[in-house]
Amino acid sequence: MAAGVAAWLPFARAAAIGWMPVASTPMPIPPQDKRKAQDGLIILNVSGTKFQTWRTTLERYPDTLLGSTERDFFFHEETSEYFFDRDPDIFRHILNFYRTGKLHYPRQECISAYDEELAFFGIIPEIIGDCCYEEYKDRRRENAERLQDDEEMDMNNDVAPVNLTFREYLWRAFENPHTSTLALVFYYVTGFFIAISVMANVVETVPCGTLPNRSKEVSCGDRYALAFFCLDTACVMIFTVEYLLRLIAAPSRCKFMKSVMSVIDVVAIMPYYIGLVMTDNDQVSGAFVTLRVFRVFRIFKFSRHSAGLRILGYTLKSCASELGFLLFSLTMAIIIFATVMFYAEKGSTATKFTSIPAAFWYTIVTMTTLGYGDMVPKTIVGKVFGSICSLSGVLVIALPVPVIVSNFSRIYHQSQRAEKRRAQRKTRLARIRAAKIRGTNAYMRYKQNGLLIDALEEVTAPRQALVGKSASPPFESQHHHLLHCLEKTTVRINHEFVDEQTFQANCMEISVVNKSGSRTSSLSSSPHGLSSCCSRRHRKKSSFSLPSTNNQELSTIQIRERPVSNSRSSLNAKLDETVPLKCDEAYISPSMVRLSAPVATSSDDASTATTTYSQSNIVRVSAL
Amino acid sequence: MIAVLVVVVVFVKVLEQFGLLEAGYDDSVEDELELSAVRHRPEGLEQLEAQTRFSRKELQILYRGFKNECPSGVVNEETFKDIYAQFFPQGDASTYAHFLFNAFDTDHNGSVSFEDFVMGLSILLRGTVQEKLIWAFNLYDINKDGYITKEEMLDIMKAIYDMMGKCTYPVLKEETPRQHVEVFFQKMDKNKDGVVTIDEFIDCCQNDENIMRSMHLFENVL
Repeated sequence: MAAGVAAWLPFARAAAIGWMPVASTPMPIPPQDKRKAQDGLIILNVSGTKFQTWRTTLERYPDTLLGSTERDFFFHEETSEYFFDRDPDIFRHILNFYRTGKLHYPRQECISAYDEELAFFGIIPEIIGDCCYEEYKDRRRENAERLQDDEEMDMNNDVAPVNLTFREYLWRAFENPHTSTLALVFYYVTGFFIAISVMANVVETVPCGTLPNRSKEVSCGDRYALAFFCLDTACVMIFTVEYLLRLIAAPSRCKFMKSVMSVIDVVAIMPYYIGLVMTDNDQVSGAFVTLRVFRVFRIFKFSRHSAGLRILGYTLKSCASELGFLLFSLTMAIIIFATVMFYAEKGSTATKFTSIPAAFWYTIVTMTTLGYGDMVPKTIVGKVFGSICSLSGVLVIALPVPVIVSNFSRIYHQSQRAEKRRAQRKTRLARIRAAKIRGTNAYMRYKQNGLLIDALEEVTAPRQALVGKSASPPFESQHHHLLHCLEKTTVRINHEFVDEQTFQANCMEISVVNKSGSRTSSLSSSPHGLSSCCSRRHRKKSSFSLPSTNNQELSTIQIRERPVSNSRSSLNAKLDETVPLKCDEAYISPSMVRLSAPVATSSDDASTATTTYSQSNIVRVSAL
Repeated sequence: MIAVLVVVVVFVKVLEQFGLLEAGYDDSVEDELELSAVRHRPEGLEQLEAQTRFSRKELQILYRGFKNECPSGVVNEETFKDIYAQFFPQGDASTYAHFLFNAFDTDHNGSVSFEDFVMGLSILLRGTVQEKLIWAFNLYDINKDGYITKEEMLDIMKAIYDMMGKCTYPVLKEETPRQHVEVFFQKMDKNKDGVVTIDEFIDCCQNDENIMRSMHLFENVL
């Protein structure tokens, strides 16, 4: 029920008095309106822009934020108004919805911003009015496509190469030739052979001079029959091999066999095989000649190599209805005009318009403004109608063409956008990684400053200079404190956050001393083995004086302090000693970093001490 | 010859299309002007306050709702039917809305202005029982001749039953409205002359407890 009509409910109820005299049974008791809703003005302050409306206006939709008691959470006592820290421009439309009952979508707003605002205020987008609904749905669809594209790209490119089976690897090589050099080579080779095959087909038919004992001109195909046959065989070999490989590699064979490209492939190579089978049979040689026509389909195989061709094909497919309309209207017009021309020219002598189907040819040629001139009307009436025919032909053909063109343009731009996004993706990922590293660096700095304070408290009183140096905003300092608490929580021995680069490097490299990577933070992986190692070392160290804030120095200090060098045996011994600790470990810190293989195995089998993994333990500093 | 005629006709049509030959264009323009000119402004707030039994605040609230739905200031029958039908989605409220419209449109000019609206509401919500009964009688008396005949009552009854719609339990039968009318006439028509006059009506209703009680039902609606 529309909001405005709710205001007429008192009228409807009053009019019910008209039923009373004819009522046969007594009436029910009306509901007690205890809460006499005082109809006051509500002030809604949205980021400084003040909106005012009646309370009853908002309460028309009690299942939204503004209409229910949920708005009380936003009440600001000092100014006795409701404050929302949201976009005032979009809020205008939301408030209009309460007032008029119709939700409009402003064309200049971003669709995701609008959706977010709607979600915040608890309004479902499906009630957008008819005037704006088309636009809204279009924008939403575009946005969804864009997100889907991104996801697909992520999925495509994130699959780690090692996990693919040979079949999947093959399929991926076929679909994205840029993934490996071999695929690229194959791609170009097939392209080359397609071109060769098509050119051979063409050159075959060119007249190549006369044979000595014949007077007629002979085509090149007949003159150099063997050469052409060998070339054809080679091409078909390549195509067959390619097709079979694709068939093997396809994840879904049925789907592959039904796809357009596969059909084109088959049609391109079939004539050759059929020709092999029935070379000497004269009866079907006529049919065989016809089959050779299908060899021209090899040119369509180029669509795998050309994105533009694919776009064209896709456009035609998506404009099927417009094309159908064009065809239909043309047919109608052809029939009409052919009939008219036939009857107009019937009287004239020696006319070429012998029948209506014969007149079809004239109509088509005239409507498409070709005008061969092989059939020409001679009577005046015929000429008049002929001119009308040619004028209308231009119109009929020109009408659907812009639709097809705009479709093509839209699809083309979409593919352009996809390309651009792919290029931007690398920069985007790099930016994300840089932000992560910055965050971990900041955290390490925070920790050092914290350690400084702890150590210095014992020594001297205020050394706030150092503290004041790290003037991080309260949010950051609280976040770092949180991470620190997490470190302290993962008991016994503090797991420490290590930079993922360092972590991976440690897993790879053996020489720790040379490692000068800065210790930055990232969550360490779970392991009990790790904790045990750290605990060992922790007990060894009595006190740790904290002199430097330099990351590098810390790590080197640690290494220097280590009594035993990085020998396997000692590490093994350590791990063995502390294996019992493993069981006590209650917490497993969540690992955000991709675990490299050795890490996973070490936790299971500590005694076998995967060396690289153990190495990483050593570098880690348990500072406190 | 025929061809020449055809060509001439086509030419004329093309010129018309381009507006060079204005054949009957003027009428539609005038129509448009007329529609936009219909706008009604109600009497002042004080006058309405004096004429009805509503307070200022109530009149303000009523007018705001009225103006929201009908920006032009008057309700015509179509809009009236639309609004009323929104409250009874299961059935067909258009016939009853038609009778209601006639009851509100006291000056019978085909549209209900805000004054008509508010006067009607004033009687229904704040009037005496007598006034309400007179209003109801006016509603039933379709041709406003002072008598309610059986046919009129049947029309009204059918309209009310139409509002219920088809999905009722028990299922409405064809003769239910007719029976209901019979019951009504038995009760109301004292001298059995086939019509109900206003005095019979008021007398009978005042003696019926149920009806009396139901008259006070909607008093605190606003």
